[in-house]
Amino acid sequence: MVSKTVMGLLAAGVLSLGLSSAAMADAKASIEAREACMKANGAMMKVMVPVIKGQNAYDKAANDAAIAAVEAACGGWANWWGEDTKPGGAVKTEAKLEIWSDPKGFEAAGGAYMAALSAVKASADEASFKAAFPALGKSCQGCHEKFRQAD
Amino acid sequence: MSRSIVLALALILALGLAVFWVLSTPRPLTVADIPQHTPNLANGEVLYHAGGCISCHQPSPDLAGIENTVPAGGAPLHTPVGTLYPMNLTPDPETGIGKWTDLQFLNAVQRGISPEGENLIPALPYTSYAHMKPEDVLDIRAYLASLPPVKSPEREPDITALPLVRRGVGLWKWVGLDTTPWTPDPSQSESWNRGSYLVNGPGHCQECHTPRNIFMARNASKAFAGGPHPEGKGRVPSLLGLIERGRYTDAADLASALANGEALGYDKLASGGMGQVQRNISQLPEGDIQAIADYIASLK
Repeated sequence: MVSKTVMGLLAAGVLSLGLSSAAMADAKASIEAREACMKANGAMMKVMVPVIKGQNAYDKAANDAAIAAVEAACGGWANWWGEDTKPGGAVKTEAKLEIWSDPKGFEAAGGAYMAALSAVKASADEASFKAAFPALGKSCQGCHEKFRQAD
Repeated sequence: MSRSIVLALALILALGLAVFWVLSTPRPLTVADIPQHTPNLANGEVLYHAGGCISCHQPSPDLAGIENTVPAGGAPLHTPVGTLYPMNLTPDPETGIGKWTDLQFLNAVQRGISPEGENLIPALPYTSYAHMKPEDVLDIRAYLASLPPVKSPEREPDITALPLVRRGVGLWKWVGLDTTPWTPDPSQSESWNRGSYLVNGPGHCQECHTPRNIFMARNASKAFAGGPHPEGKGRVPSLLGLIERGRYTDAADLASALANGEALGYDKLASGGMGQVQRNISQLPEGDIQAIADYIASLK
């Protein structure tokens, strides 16, 4: 009798451990995907900013490649913000709680970024790229100011 | 026997309270401390931006139709001790600082003492502003007086036992408030010295970038070394060795970062309140931004 109860409890324990570690693995994968997307954006800035500053020559192919890398890294964006990926406890992330408490604001900041990125992607020459870029840069700033934790 | 012990204890307590009362009494500037000075509005505007006044004195969301660049005050400022509502800096005579005298303004900004003679909570960084030239503070006052007046009533902070806390601040000032005026370092360049003044006086960079000791006073031996965020979440980065650590290629790169922030891909300049600071700095003349960068880049 006793051993049956113990077995049952053990089984339940193992099952719930398994479930929570599966959820944790999901959360971990989401956070890593977010970070990879942000890294791709950082790499894109490293291609574009020197052109804006006049340090590098305009190179449409380099821009296109950087944007393609961002699109590849960020495709699953909408699925990476589960409740279990909020900061706190064992969850290490620079994402701020405001992302979950102000989803409309977060979406608007993302929308500004998407619109700016599309404009940069559509720019076909140096002049139109330089005209489109500032909105993209500002969209990084606009989102990070509200939704990214300091260090 | 026991009665005399009680009496002795009461005496010690009374003495302690008296000492607390004396030590926590504000020590204001006097009329003799006001310099002879013709206000310079343009200088006042530069230092207003260097001081980052607008970041805390934002208009309350309840004020309809007031641009968020007008320091009408009233927007909540959350701190570990409670929520403050930084005051209206426009010259409205009833709810702003229109009726303040120069001496009252100097005492608030450089000594943390209100016109009513109370200690102000050091969320107002008078601990840095105390090092400023009083002439510069009066120029900021002249600039503020030139702004259109806005009605924005003062609101007391949501802090438990506020009068006692204000008295406690008076005591804290003995360790937390150094009123030594800023002095130049003749061995350094003019730009470096201008940067040193802007950073340590109006810019009050150390209020966040220098960690605090157990008395909540800035730990001078760890100046600019970074530490826990004063608002309670995350960390404030160290400003030491920014070039050596490869964060910026040189002082010119740092100046570009301060002028443009994340809009030009300079990462980590938007979060934790630095976005507002960077926006304020971007309003400064180019030479002042370069001066700040020259000084910060020299910190080791």
